[in-house]
Amino acid sequence: MDPSEVEFLAEKELVKIIPNFSLDKVFLIGGDLGPFNPGLPIDVPVWLALNLKQRQKCRIIPPEWMDVEKLEEMRDLERKEDMFTPVPSPYYMELTKLLLNHASDNIPKADEIRTLVKDIWDTRIAKLRLSTDSFISQQEAYAKLDNLTLMEINTIRAFLLDTLNCMYKLRSNVQ
Amino acid sequence: MFIADIRKDFYEVVANQRVVLLVAPDIDALCACKILQALFHCDQIQYTLVPVTGWQDLGTAFLEHKEQFRYFVLINCGANVDLLEMLQPDDDSIFFICDTHRPVDVVNVYNDTQIKLLIKQDDDLGVPSYDDIFRDEDEEGEDSGNESDEGSEPSGKRRRFDEGAVERRIERQRAKREWEARRREILFDYEQYEYHGTSAAMMFFELAWVLTKDTKDMLWWAIIGLTDQWVHDKITNMKYVTDIATMQRHVSRHNHRNEDEENSLSIDCMRISFEYDLRLTLYQHWSLYESICNSCYTSCSFKLWTLNGQKKLQEFLADMGLPLKQVRQKFNSMDMSIKENLRDVIEESSNKYGMKDIRIQTFGVHFGFKNRFLASDMVHATAALLESAEKDDSETDNFIKALDALSRSNIDRLHSGIELAKKKLIAIQQTVASCLCTNLILSQGPFLYCYLMEGTPDVKLFSKPMALTLLCKYLLKAFVLSTRNKRCKLLPLVMAAPKDVEKGTVIVVGIPPESETSDKKNFFGRAFEKAAESTSSRTLHDHFDTSIIELKTEDRSKFLDALITLLS
Repeated sequence: MDPSEVEFLAEKELVKIIPNFSLDKVFLIGGDLGPFNPGLPIDVPVWLALNLKQRQKCRIIPPEWMDVEKLEEMRDLERKEDMFTPVPSPYYMELTKLLLNHASDNIPKADEIRTLVKDIWDTRIAKLRLSTDSFISQQEAYAKLDNLTLMEINTIRAFLLDTLNCMYKLRSNVQ
Repeated sequence: MFIADIRKDFYEVVANQRVVLLVAPDIDALCACKILQALFHCDQIQYTLVPVTGWQDLGTAFLEHKEQFRYFVLINCGANVDLLEMLQPDDDSIFFICDTHRPVDVVNVYNDTQIKLLIKQDDDLGVPSYDDIFRDEDEEGEDSGNESDEGSEPSGKRRRFDEGAVERRIERQRAKREWEARRREILFDYEQYEYHGTSAAMMFFELAWVLTKDTKDMLWWAIIGLTDQWVHDKITNMKYVTDIATMQRHVSRHNHRNEDEENSLSIDCMRISFEYDLRLTLYQHWSLYESICNSCYTSCSFKLWTLNGQKKLQEFLADMGLPLKQVRQKFNSMDMSIKENLRDVIEESSNKYGMKDIRIQTFGVHFGFKNRFLASDMVHATAALLESAEKDDSETDNFIKALDALSRSNIDRLHSGIELAKKKLIAIQQTVASCLCTNLILSQGPFLYCYLMEGTPDVKLFSKPMALTLLCKYLLKAFVLSTRNKRCKLLPLVMAAPKDVEKGTVIVVGIPPESETSDKKNFFGRAFEKAAESTSSRTLHDHFDTSIIELKTEDRSKFLDALITLLS
């Protein structure tokens, strides 16, 4: 899977916006997009929110977890625990990138949030690497990892599967 | 016809239509085009962008697109000629013209159906009133009708009637001749001087503001459009200051949100700030020394083409306590202690050397950690890109490159533009120095004249109108400060440079005389036309600024003689 495909899937998540135009209910294949009234907040998928933002038709409200204190707590918790802690959102990395690239003027303290999310990501990837390392060196057959997000799995998937295949070939040739 | 409500009469009319944007090759037009493109993107209005370099280009573009499009938006072109006569459009083509060229042609002003001018009516236009120029034709018909009736009367009374009728007819003809003479005079006065009005970019920014779709990007483009008019000396100082004040109000409005300490904006957001900054071109992207040597204001005040001038410059730097080593390195690498108070220190010292206006009101932008630009930096960089004399690039390519450089995402292009601008400025200063030292500027009586020979270094740069005009202005300023002849100081300057070696043409530019309170009105447009007519020289008045023409090299001397006789 390509990272851009994961990002595409992430764009289905809902985010709150405040539109400045009015439109009746729109019926799309994926679901209904409810009537838009200027000044009233409404939940829409991220892809629509970004498109409207670029056309200056709305203001994006950051999701609840995108807050400096909450992210600091999560980062500290992540650093303490050995296992993976629950994530703020299954697509936290992609949403941060999309929202901060296109709507950073609507998100307070955008720079700190970017740093905190990167810290959380780095810690989790480091844990993932450690656990993969121990999985291979101890020649385990089974591993259980909770709370991993699709993006993190995607970073390691291709590499891990190929290496395991190669190692299997090497082992079977030796024997 | 002037548009009263730009939103209702322009934007909502084109809202669901496809439009053609015909854009002239100057920075103000580029900025206006960018703002309009951004608005069109927001509302998904389909448009075709056609850069036009002159009247012929405009005609060709119109012919290509007139079948498919009804609405044409002309930016910085088209207001100063009778557009309907030139293009011969169908009755349903509508033209929206946003042009800074003045005077606006009277036919364009008084046409109610096809020509809509996106110009403010109080923009010091001085348009003659309708009755002074246009007269209904009915009165002619009455005259001849009366005469034929009275001619068939029986003879007795006829004689008396005849005399009365003849007298009235003579009276009417005299009145008509008088009216026509007055009309010619009024039109001559109105169209004699060419000047510039409010920036097109500012007009479109106001449209965006009225639609409440204005962003900081658009504001920055409007500021660049205004600064372009100032850098290329198109508007008076007074107008520049007034327009800066208008922009300052918009800037404060946009900066209102930055003030909140709790929710400070990301560093990547664009921040525009009002600066009372030095008049040294590109000094933040160059070394201070180079910038002082190559900026028109300082170079002319010190007279840096003389040895004395160089000495004065060294004294100036010593007076400020700036070590030469610091001053010659890149500005960003100078010591912080020097950079902190640089503006005030320079202002104090320059007052001693007679440079009272070393600081000018302008705006700067700041986004990301590295990117800081002043409005004049952007103007010079974009102008250098627009007129880059590379062999392989067509004019459309240059236009697109320059347009791209204005976006925030194309910083590389902007930096390459800055490098080109530095080369251009150095070339200008060297040419000015060589022209003055070799006395290439000759006084021809009513004006000064200078011809750049073909072998002059960098002469290819000066085959482009904007670069040549800039050179012209710098040369005139430098000449006025260096000559002792009092009469020569008040003369305008005509400059010629080779344009196309194969075709054997030169480009001729005329600029008004240099003065503190100049109103920047240029009469060379009409003068060139008349001189070309009287000598039947082969000229091409293709440029939107009528004071820039192309001329065959062989006809140069007779054209000049005609010009001299015309103006003396």
